[in-house]
Amino acid sequence: MSEYNPVLPLEAVERSFAKKGPKQYTLWIDLEHCIGCNACTVACKAENNTPVGVNYTTVLEIEEGDFRDAKKTPNVGVTFVPMPCMHCGRPACQAACPVGAITKREEDGIVLINKDKCIGCRYCAWACPYGAPQFNAEAKVMEKCTLCVHRVEKGLLPACVTTCVGKVRFFGELNELTAVMKQKRSRSVSITVAGANTNPSVQYTK
Amino acid sequence: MNNLVEIGLQRPVSIENELCSRYRCTKSACSACADVCPVPDAVRFLDQGVEITDACVACGACASACPNGALRPIESDAELATTIRSQVRPGTTFRIACGRASGRADLILPCLSRLTEALLLGPIRGGAERVELFDPGCSGCGLKKAAPQWQNVLAFSQALCEAAGLGTDRVARVGVPAGKPVEVRSPSETVSSRRAIFRAMVDKWAASDAPAAARKAEPGKMPLESFRQAVQQRRESPKRMDLLQLLQTLPVAKVASKTVPAANTPLADLEIGRQCVGCNVCETLCPTGALRHREESGTYALDFEAALCTGCRVCEVACFYKAVRVRESVDVSALFARPRVTLVCAPRQKCRACGETFLGEPAELCPLCQLSDRRRAMVARRILFGGKPA
Repeated sequence: MSEYNPVLPLEAVERSFAKKGPKQYTLWIDLEHCIGCNACTVACKAENNTPVGVNYTTVLEIEEGDFRDAKKTPNVGVTFVPMPCMHCGRPACQAACPVGAITKREEDGIVLINKDKCIGCRYCAWACPYGAPQFNAEAKVMEKCTLCVHRVEKGLLPACVTTCVGKVRFFGELNELTAVMKQKRSRSVSITVAGANTNPSVQYTK
Repeated sequence: MNNLVEIGLQRPVSIENELCSRYRCTKSACSACADVCPVPDAVRFLDQGVEITDACVACGACASACPNGALRPIESDAELATTIRSQVRPGTTFRIACGRASGRADLILPCLSRLTEALLLGPIRGGAERVELFDPGCSGCGLKKAAPQWQNVLAFSQALCEAAGLGTDRVARVGVPAGKPVEVRSPSETVSSRRAIFRAMVDKWAASDAPAAARKAEPGKMPLESFRQAVQQRRESPKRMDLLQLLQTLPVAKVASKTVPAANTPLADLEIGRQCVGCNVCETLCPTGALRHREESGTYALDFEAALCTGCRVCEVACFYKAVRVRESVDVSALFARPRVTLVCAPRQKCRACGETFLGEPAELCPLCQLSDRRRAMVARRILFGGKPA
């Protein structure tokens, strides 16, 4: 594992892979050090061979502060927020799918779209509070981040994680990740969207 | 020899998944087959679709209850219709008895719930003056849970007769004491004869040689790659086509409108609200092809043929926008007149981002692309600023 990330101990990754039974694989994204290079977006497109317009993960630029606020010192900044599929505990997309094409895998918590069943109605995209499902206009089916399930099943890390330049994306089992997060970062962020109670698994720190 | 074993193991009722509401739409709450099945655990709901277990006693109630005709008993509707046609004598009363009724009957069924509307009205088309159902009272019968089914079929058949101007007394139930029915004709002609069963076995044996692999596929475990193709194929329900064909040849006096409540009726009248975005899910998932869309010069139109609608309500439960609504009451005469109404007609726009079309005002991006962008930004802001929009 040459691309090993120093923040997350190697043992934590190994324990994540070795853990048996129902578990939740997920990502931890450290916003403090994200430089918005979009290497994850590109690596994901290369790995999953997605067509133009379909991005399983994107990086948003959020501006904060205001120049014109005379009372405070100008404190303007841009933060980059990578947005993959949150692999929710109670996926809204799964509930919305009329044909049962979306499943949350018991063994690793990955939410997957069965492209053979998907009828391309885009109801999952309407339901998802995070805008994760993407419509593939060529194949007329929905696609989304699979957490690189084909790599993870072989014991490899997702493409976005191995490629991350700033070493801010970490992959592992949810409990292993949160344990490390608590030691190393003071401010973890829980993502809640008003009206949506989907229990997203992806963790953010800032 | 393998074929013989396979025949022996074949379920008395087979399922055509593409017609099953539960198979086509996992949100469907259709339980018509299980509601009337008199045997506990004979009908089992799977994650997708249903399964008939070995507990089945082949009464045929589920086949009659399934609005789409997804369930096929070994004695098919066509075989039963042929028998009825051979038994009926013009100008007389055709009597159908269940296995517990006393009296002389033209047709004896294990349970009256096997009858469909098409079978019940078959003798009328054959020239019979009247069809009588011998009812010894279902309360003491082991199959009594199936009783509402034949009563529903009778009521709907009466409504059809009324709409056709034939009067309501052409099909009727006759109370008889419980006993043992006597067949009017020679028993060798009946479908329940041993000869018919053996003939069916031989036919199945002959048919089983070529597509054995295809038939081995378990119900509900169809190869998944074919699901999308399967639901996107347009075809009508054979059960409904049988009924429509029968109604076309019925000696109709004058078609009059006859309104019945939509509940428990294999017919529905739809209305589609302004929320419709033209996603075509109702059309794709409709098991009987009652909904069809047309696209003409940038306009999207959705047509509804009420005569093909079986009231399975897949469109209603599948619609994400809650645009499809089934009306409370339905006009039975639609089955005779076969009207085609346009429920939605709106200009269609093309999204610049996703390339999909949408209904509504001209815009660069479809409402979904706009919403997804807004949502992503909103979530990102919440992550950063802890819920307070900046």
